[in-house]
Amino acid sequence: MADSIEAIQKAKKTYMMVFGALLVGTVVTVLVATVPALDIGGHGFDVWDAVLGILIATTKATLVAAIFMHLNHEKKLIYWVFFGAIFFFFAMGGLFALAESSPIFDEFFYK
Amino acid sequence: MEIPYIVNPRKDTGLINSKIAIWLFLASEVMLFGGFFSAYVYLRLGADYPWPERTLPVLPGLINTFILIASSVTVVFAWVALKLGNWRQFQVYMGITVACAAIFMVLKGIEYNVKFHHQAARLHDYSIVEGHLGYEKDGKGELVHDRNGDKIEENMIRVVADKLTFSVKRFHAPWVNEILSEAKHSGSEIKLGADIKAVTEQGEKEETLAKAGEPLSLELLGKIKDIQLSALEHNASLRTDALRMEWKEAKKENPGKKGWQLASDVNIDMDALSPRLLTEISSVEFVVDPPTRLLFKPRDIKEGATSSRLRDDTVISGSMEDSPMVLHQLDAIDFQWLVMKAEEKGISPETAIAESWLMKNSAFVREAWAWHLARNVEKQEVLNKRYGFKEDGKTPKQTLTHKELYRLGWKDLGEMGVENKGVKIGGFDKIKEEFMGPNYKARGEETFPELSVPRDQIRHAAKFTPAWNTYYAIYFTITGLHGLHVIGGALVLLYYLVFGRKMFLSNPEWLANRVEVGGLFWHFVDLVWIFAFPIFYLM
Repeated sequence: MADSIEAIQKAKKTYMMVFGALLVGTVVTVLVATVPALDIGGHGFDVWDAVLGILIATTKATLVAAIFMHLNHEKKLIYWVFFGAIFFFFAMGGLFALAESSPIFDEFFYK
Repeated sequence: MEIPYIVNPRKDTGLINSKIAIWLFLASEVMLFGGFFSAYVYLRLGADYPWPERTLPVLPGLINTFILIASSVTVVFAWVALKLGNWRQFQVYMGITVACAAIFMVLKGIEYNVKFHHQAARLHDYSIVEGHLGYEKDGKGELVHDRNGDKIEENMIRVVADKLTFSVKRFHAPWVNEILSEAKHSGSEIKLGADIKAVTEQGEKEETLAKAGEPLSLELLGKIKDIQLSALEHNASLRTDALRMEWKEAKKENPGKKGWQLASDVNIDMDALSPRLLTEISSVEFVVDPPTRLLFKPRDIKEGATSSRLRDDTVISGSMEDSPMVLHQLDAIDFQWLVMKAEEKGISPETAIAESWLMKNSAFVREAWAWHLARNVEKQEVLNKRYGFKEDGKTPKQTLTHKELYRLGWKDLGEMGVENKGVKIGGFDKIKEEFMGPNYKARGEETFPELSVPRDQIRHAAKFTPAWNTYYAIYFTITGLHGLHVIGGALVLLYYLVFGRKMFLSNPEWLANRVEVGGLFWHFVDLVWIFAFPIFYLM
């Protein structure tokens, strides 16, 4: 990470830009969800609203992780730990799909 | 002891130890929250009731998001200030970070508090009403307080008790006290119904433990409980010994036979054993003289017309009085679930709603529903203009959502009050509503009227807590866990702010590293909220 004084001063600008981007992302998410004229997909909450909401949230999360948490230039070991965690996050998230004879599973995959 | 590699990185990893440690910890945190978010998806997809989508107040959620994002920036700036050796600036930025955490928790606290005081009831026909409960008043209209000095919500089960049967093992002492004080208040006495006689020592004669007419007291119940517990222990060990003997003999007489072949013939000889057993007293009966009215919280009692049972197995004989749930401010009428159930049975939503208890018994609900239907027609016209019709030229491409069609929330009732009854409220009151929910005081009874729901119409009732449905269960789990992280993180950052000066003077690099590690945790807290906010508030 940035250690020289010049580099740190430069990084401060980046932090402010990320701050702005996060605020904009939040406002966009809220507007799309609450203003009928900006509603994407069909009327009301549907899969497109969910996709857009999660997409913006993921972008914001990536910015925080990359810039604020300095993941954009980190040592290899940290990447192992981080991406390991992400892998298990999705693995755990997917666990419920393995539930045998799950009514949810049937409804969403066989209907 | 000196901790290695906290200022200078290790050669092999290129990292300071504390940084690896916090990342390993964050990895475990990712999985913890991942599990809960996964649970959310599971509960939502599998819900057998209309999921309450977009139901939380967006404005405080949005402000909280801004606050957390801002605090994420200031915590980085605090670290930068340390790197540049500027203590004053560090103090300012860290101070702002901690203050942000405090504001976040205050807003969260308000949100939780509103939920904890908001009542909902699901009727037998699956219609739902929401609102605020009134409080019990005496004949003169004065508020009644319980013995802790708290107001009593108008949601109590009233039983005129003539007999109380306590479970000796399970009676709950605070409830016994409550019953005693209520009886005393109404000039009634609770006395033992009949003598309690028991054999308390093996081989001794039966003795009288308590005489009929003795007043109910915790000491008396406690004494009988002790006797009962030791009798149970004594009898159990006698029975076990006797059964062991029987098995031994059976095995000896039938060599080579398996246990399961013998089991049906191995029995204790009760005739021989019973003279040695002590008396077991599982319950004691008390008479209430004269019969008096007792109040119970619905969650504590399984009520019946002539006999009710408390959660501690106390049986209360006596007739149940009318015990309606009185919403003094009805603020939502929800037919979503009723319609879902009706459609499963092939009944049209209109018929099902018209047949519901609410429509048949409340003029206000009928009026509100008529207004709602008329407004939905207008709303659908707006949709038709925007999205148009399908090829047949008649069927609209987009229709109103299930929630719009079948739920009248407090904002809708507020609009109706403005349109139909000319209720107007000020700008400040309106903003307050965004945080605190419906403003009963400003909008008055015309908008949020009283509704009394008879007890026998209620299928399930609860505050907006995990007891109400799985949505609130997962909402409180995730946001509560997140809130604890906010508090924990803020305490650590506050520690650096208050006690960091000494380290700043002696080893500034070390302090900078500490703040960086604390900051990493803080960013993670922000990350969780970045997902929690859209998922709970906007979807």
